Amino acid sequence: MISRFQIAYKNLLRKKARTLLTLVGIMLSSWVLVSLLGFNRGYEHALNRDIDNMGYQLMVMAKGCPYEAATMMLQGGTGLRYIEQSMVDAIVKKPEVDKVTPILMQAFFDPDKGDGGGIAGYFGVEAATFPAMKPFFRFRQGGWFRDEQAAEAVMGYEAAELEQREVGDMILVPEKNVELKVVGILERTGGQDDGTIFVPLKTLQKISATDKITTIGIKVKKDADSTKLEASLYMLPDVQVVSFTQVKQTIMKLIATARVMVLSIAIIALLIAMVGVVNTILMSVLERMQEIGILKTMGAMPGDIFLLVWTETLILCTSGGIAGIGLAFIFARLSDILVRRILPYSPGGELVAIDMKLALLTLAVIVVVGLLSGIYPAWKAGRVRPLESIRSE
Amino acid sequence: MNFTAFLLKILIALLLLFVMAGPALAAVGCDLNDPDRDVARFFPDSSGYKTTYMSIDKRGGEALLRKIEKRLGDRFHGIYETIDVPYTIYEIHKGSQKIGYIHGVNQKGQFGGIQVFAALDLNGRIKSFYIQKMTSRWAKKLRDATFGRQFTGMTLRDFEAYDPATGRGSGKTAELRNPAPEAEQDFRASLRALKKNLILMDEFVYSTERGKP
Repeated sequence: MISRFQIAYKNLLRKKARTLLTLVGIMLSSWVLVSLLGFNRGYEHALNRDIDNMGYQLMVMAKGCPYEAATMMLQGGTGLRYIEQSMVDAIVKKPEVDKVTPILMQAFFDPDKGDGGGIAGYFGVEAATFPAMKPFFRFRQGGWFRDEQAAEAVMGYEAAELEQREVGDMILVPEKNVELKVVGILERTGGQDDGTIFVPLKTLQKISATDKITTIGIKVKKDADSTKLEASLYMLPDVQVVSFTQVKQTIMKLIATARVMVLSIAIIALLIAMVGVVNTILMSVLERMQEIGILKTMGAMPGDIFLLVWTETLILCTSGGIAGIGLAFIFARLSDILVRRILPYSPGGELVAIDMKLALLTLAVIVVVGLLSGIYPAWKAGRVRPLESIRSE
Repeated sequence: MNFTAFLLKILIALLLLFVMAGPALAAVGCDLNDPDRDVARFFPDSSGYKTTYMSIDKRGGEALLRKIEKRLGDRFHGIYETIDVPYTIYEIHKGSQKIGYIHGVNQKGQFGGIQVFAALDLNGRIKSFYIQKMTSRWAKKLRDATFGRQFTGMTLRDFEAYDPATGRGSGKTAELRNPAPEAEQDFRASLRALKKNLILMDEFVYSTERGKP
């Protein structure tokens, strides 16, 4: 026996162009909706990942412009001013602190980089404390320095690629004329570490003729009150504290307005698509008045007619929704590229994160809203009086 | 056409588009730092330029790589000299007329990557030789215009007898003088880079223009 779904499907095929246009409308609105929801989640995840990849939640550095400090954290850069290394001992004693690592950022002028010369940046880090902050680091070749005063370097993937370095090769610190042996090359991380050259802290201090550092990275204990720790760090002389939570909140605030606007557009697109659904189904009902009347004379109850018309709405919304979600999956990379071009700051990794859970949620929204839109045409069809409809032209 | 089949075809087409449009984890290329300035410097009478990107992978794959290595007299080695390296070719124009090319390659040097550019006329003759980046104590001497002028007028034919593995050549390449004998490794690296540069240009551009595959 032919099922209700088969009848509804055949009814939709009667007016192919109309059905196709309605499907396209639903498809486009579901595409926009799922991409936007994917971006909503993906951006925050990517930002969190970037911040987690920093390894530490707080940075202490000499007083200066906080915006420069934030840029330095997110995009990489050179230190602003120096702080005493003894400050590390003062910080590590605080009960909220899990791990601490001192960092010296230095930049040297290389006159043979391009026509006007360029800057070569180096990160002085401790092999004893820094790797624990970056547990996600994986080596493509080699490993960390053998001792804290070795004339060695570990290169981020992009830095090594630009300099065509492999483990065992030498690099030359410009300006200072010091040779360092490459002992490790990192895998890509997608963050600022890819372009960084890591040197043992003491070696870089010796090269730079300083015993100071520029930054202290702090990993806070789980469940510790980082706000309290931040407040206590501000008591230290001439330092500024930059918390990644603050940076994240600032960035999220910046994109919130754009997100609300795009979400409004998505809702409008969804509403327009649903008006299209109502129009299509209603037209279909009005064209089939006599047919519905005959069905009723053959014993079909109002509920049967209602369900039959509602099934058409269900087929339309489900097919359009699945196609739209499929498109969103297919073009997620393209959406990613577009979003990156528009936004002032984009974290690394996937910005538009669409998974099955999100896809099913969007499909459920589309189907529920579609079925709500289909109530009126289905109700109207169910109320058709058999004799009147059969007599009508 | 069946409606379901039609929808299926659209989905398959979109899927193919997605597969083809997938970004590759590309190796690093070699671009001019300031193309507007550099193009005007190498071709003072130029009025504009067009940038195109080529790779051995896309132009001929493994077979082309083997051919280039044979012509070079050395294998592509290391983790960065790979088949998928994107090469940027600047096609230089004077009005509607094409007047030459600029092309650069990366080369492993003693202390870092060397970026070697050649400005070529339409016959593949070197107009200018330029080392954009080099990390070496003697980089100044190798980047000096006096060193670069030695290459002016040379073609790929002059480099055919040059062996990058031994650093020996005959004819014009044997006459090339190293301004910094202490930096022999970087001097040889520069010549290898230039020979590779000229071979790549021949394979990517000149052989096509001559109508030879």
